[in-house]
Amino acid sequence: MTDLQLDNSHALGRVVATERKPNTPHEFHFWTALDSPVGIGTIVRVDGAHPVNGQIPRIYGVVVEGFSYTDLQTPLHDVLGHDGTPDGASLAATERAEIRLYTAAVLRQLPEEPLQPVPMGRVYLAGAEDVAIALRMDSYLAEGARTAIPIGVYRAGGTDAPIYLDADFLLGPEAAHLNITGVSGLATKTSAIEWILQSIFTHFPAQKGSVAAVCFNVKGPDLCFLDQPGIVDAADRALYERCGVSPEPFEKVQYFAPFKPDGFSLNTLRSNEALLHNVSPLTWGLREVLQYAEVLLNKDDVDAKADALIDFIRERVVDRDFSDQLLGNKHYLVRSFADLEGWFRDLLSAMENKGNEGWRTHHVATIRKVRNRLSNISTRCSGLVTDDGAVSDLPFGSFQDRTVYVIDVASLEEDAQDLIFARVVTKLREHLEKRDLGVNHVVVFVDELNKYAPSDAQETYVRKMLLDLAERGRYLGLVLFSAQQFRSQVHRRVVGNSGTALYGRMDGDELATPGYAVLSPAVKTKLATLEKGQLMVRHPHFTQPIFVRFPRPAVMRGRDGAEQYPQAVDVDLDAAVLRSLRTLDPALTLGWVRDAIGIREDDEVIRARNATLRERPADVKKYFQSQLRPVVAAQPATRPAGVPVRSAPADDPYAF
Amino acid sequence: MAAPALSRLLADLLPESRGTEGEAPLDLPRDTAQPPRLISAAIIEGHELRARRIVDPPVVGFAAFLDGTQETQVSRYLAGGIPIVVGTVGAVIRDRRNQRMFTWRHLVERRVYAPRAHLSADAWRRLAALTPPPVDTTDGEADEPLAHPLALREAAVHRVQEDRQRAEQALAEEWCRRETRALLIDGGISGTDAVARAVCAVGVVKSHRTLYAQGEALTTILSLARAHRSSVFRVTSPKRTNVASWYLRLRDPRGHEPMWGLVRVEIAEPEGDADVAARADLVSRWILAEAAPLSLPDARWDKMVYGVRDCEVFLRATR
Repeated sequence: MTDLQLDNSHALGRVVATERKPNTPHEFHFWTALDSPVGIGTIVRVDGAHPVNGQIPRIYGVVVEGFSYTDLQTPLHDVLGHDGTPDGASLAATERAEIRLYTAAVLRQLPEEPLQPVPMGRVYLAGAEDVAIALRMDSYLAEGARTAIPIGVYRAGGTDAPIYLDADFLLGPEAAHLNITGVSGLATKTSAIEWILQSIFTHFPAQKGSVAAVCFNVKGPDLCFLDQPGIVDAADRALYERCGVSPEPFEKVQYFAPFKPDGFSLNTLRSNEALLHNVSPLTWGLREVLQYAEVLLNKDDVDAKADALIDFIRERVVDRDFSDQLLGNKHYLVRSFADLEGWFRDLLSAMENKGNEGWRTHHVATIRKVRNRLSNISTRCSGLVTDDGAVSDLPFGSFQDRTVYVIDVASLEEDAQDLIFARVVTKLREHLEKRDLGVNHVVVFVDELNKYAPSDAQETYVRKMLLDLAERGRYLGLVLFSAQQFRSQVHRRVVGNSGTALYGRMDGDELATPGYAVLSPAVKTKLATLEKGQLMVRHPHFTQPIFVRFPRPAVMRGRDGAEQYPQAVDVDLDAAVLRSLRTLDPALTLGWVRDAIGIREDDEVIRARNATLRERPADVKKYFQSQLRPVVAAQPATRPAGVPVRSAPADDPYAF
Repeated sequence: MAAPALSRLLADLLPESRGTEGEAPLDLPRDTAQPPRLISAAIIEGHELRARRIVDPPVVGFAAFLDGTQETQVSRYLAGGIPIVVGTVGAVIRDRRNQRMFTWRHLVERRVYAPRAHLSADAWRRLAALTPPPVDTTDGEADEPLAHPLALREAAVHRVQEDRQRAEQALAEEWCRRETRALLIDGGISGTDAVARAVCAVGVVKSHRTLYAQGEALTTILSLARAHRSSVFRVTSPKRTNVASWYLRLRDPRGHEPMWGLVRVEIAEPEGDADVAARADLVSRWILAEAAPLSLPDARWDKMVYGVRDCEVFLRATR
């Protein structure tokens, strides 16, 4: 690299304009030396030659297209000139005059009025200060108004400038939401989100309040080791240092995962005993699920009549002291799926016995249908939905500042994933509306957005929720960070409402879709060949997309974590209970657990275990045992003397 | 001063004159400036003019290239069709470093050319205020009868041409004073003694209005095959320094007119027992090495080396 490349006080190009290729207020052309460090995405500054309103105009632009050509009129002339021998061409005494001509899109003009076509002038490589001005970052980098969140470093020809997003436009209230797109398998999307969360947790201004993140781990072990240190090389450390972020894993992470269908093994890749201290089960009962029945029951299942019955059950039956004449005025307290099943059984028996076709305006067929569908939920979402009504949930109301809450739904059925997503987001919104969540802002990270909010599928509850979140969340501090492979396949209103958009390496087919028509062919080419750790950023303050480098997140990669902390093998109930309770009392032994459980039924043991985990008592042994029903001591049974039912006739020939 | 600005200034200085619009430049192709002729020359390589094949392959020998341009444009007319001409001459040496061309020295001069003898004293006095001062195209011969307007214009063209030659010679002299590396000059080198005697200067003449051969020698020259040269002969002129010269065919002439790809080379006349043949072979190899890249789309691309074309493009871009 020459001195010229390192020193941005030297002009590296000159603005040129012709009648066929004129400059405009939004675009200009310039040429450079052949060895200049300019490339697609480079930010440059033009110093005009003549003052406008007494001020020398300064124009900032980003290179979006490049051209190279010689004075050769036709390729045939080159063939003739070298007698058709390509080898001869390299021996030519003189290389043809050649040009590097670039087109730059204007980022900013100073003065901003009058807005004029870019004048002729010298072109300089933008320094760090120029970059801040060009991207209008100067407004939120100023002391006292600092709301800058570093997202990476812009590098070109020796310039090494951190690029900042405006927190007001990333987490609200001015704009909000972030969407990232890119091909899978390059460790870009998830890594970028992890890095940005680290950056937000470090730089989110105190005056804007507290912030937490809720991440849905939808595939593999991607987000399962956010609290474990990862590999950070020297180059990454330099990026961390430049951005003022400590290369450490997340300090506070809480994991939540439902159980497997067995009801006692956690359904997560983070089930290694060494990491269970911050893993909590996620289980919901009837009341929690019934609120979101719409998520699990499709429109074909639930017509207006069924919907009315579900409403009745939700409002009048669940958690209420319910009695009815048809049921012999028996009192019901329905708190679990098991209770509900009993209630349905009694109701339908009573109707059959009395020969009734309807009950309280509900037809028997509707009642049977709703019973079938609701009862089926606990089967479809087994491990998440408990028959006994036990609830283990996210700490709504006591969310902690700078904490990541990861919900591992990677191994769940689609229905269960939808249910978790719908309920968690709704609860977050409710608590944020009431201002009692515990934090002021929550970032919700959803991967595979094209699955949850597709552009061309029928309306689903989850998609409606995402639209609502994207359109209204910023006023509440509820912010959506979303990722997907194909942005074109995501609902326009979801990605359109994302104030900030990031792009990793893109697929050629995806780039050919109309959504990318605004990008120049050269920028598309760069996007299609982007290396790991590079992103293209669009942000409300940036008038053009900018390319940045970001460091590898300082957390253990999912693949490494899965190798270092292999998933716990499935064990029997005794061992599973021990594993769970040891997180509360490491002194517990398998022998003690076996003695405590004795001959009790699995359901009872699981219920006691769940209650203990929920309560987190000081004396784990005592509390666990108190949750088990006392066993009546065995007593020897005395054999009663036999008494004949009837004496046999004396003349009975067959009597013995 | 830029040409449009100078034209505006002339309009102010000579309000009695009439402006021109879209008039073509007066410059004629140099080839047509003199009648075709044949001159016999003394052979200094052997006893008769023969065709000689350049056996060794081309080799890069030139470090720089020199060329000049001129543009002569009538800016205004005074009564009687007296032209007030703006002439622009330029010359440049382009230095080749690492196969790319850079400017070593560049001259541009724009002046007004007017026939003083046909202007009023007052008009000439007003023109004399210009910087640089105007050039008198009539050599100050007062009270000459009014000449044909075309003759006046041609006189201006010749003056501009002389200024261009002076600019070229100034640069060539400076190169020869400062450098020892070989310089390819577009045209002859005999105009200046210092250049004509410099070992580093090589002139390449593309125009053949004057051919230095007669009879069989002429046939030999016009029949030269590609990468063949003629014997070296001496070019003499009463007002110029003697130089050694030979003809060289750069490209295969089959299918073209006889002078296609033919150039005449001028170098300083070797002194003493210097091997003139070896020097002619070496310089010919240098020139053949410049046959690519082609100088297309220039019409003279068969004779013009790319370095000279680069000079012309540079001068066009900067005048």
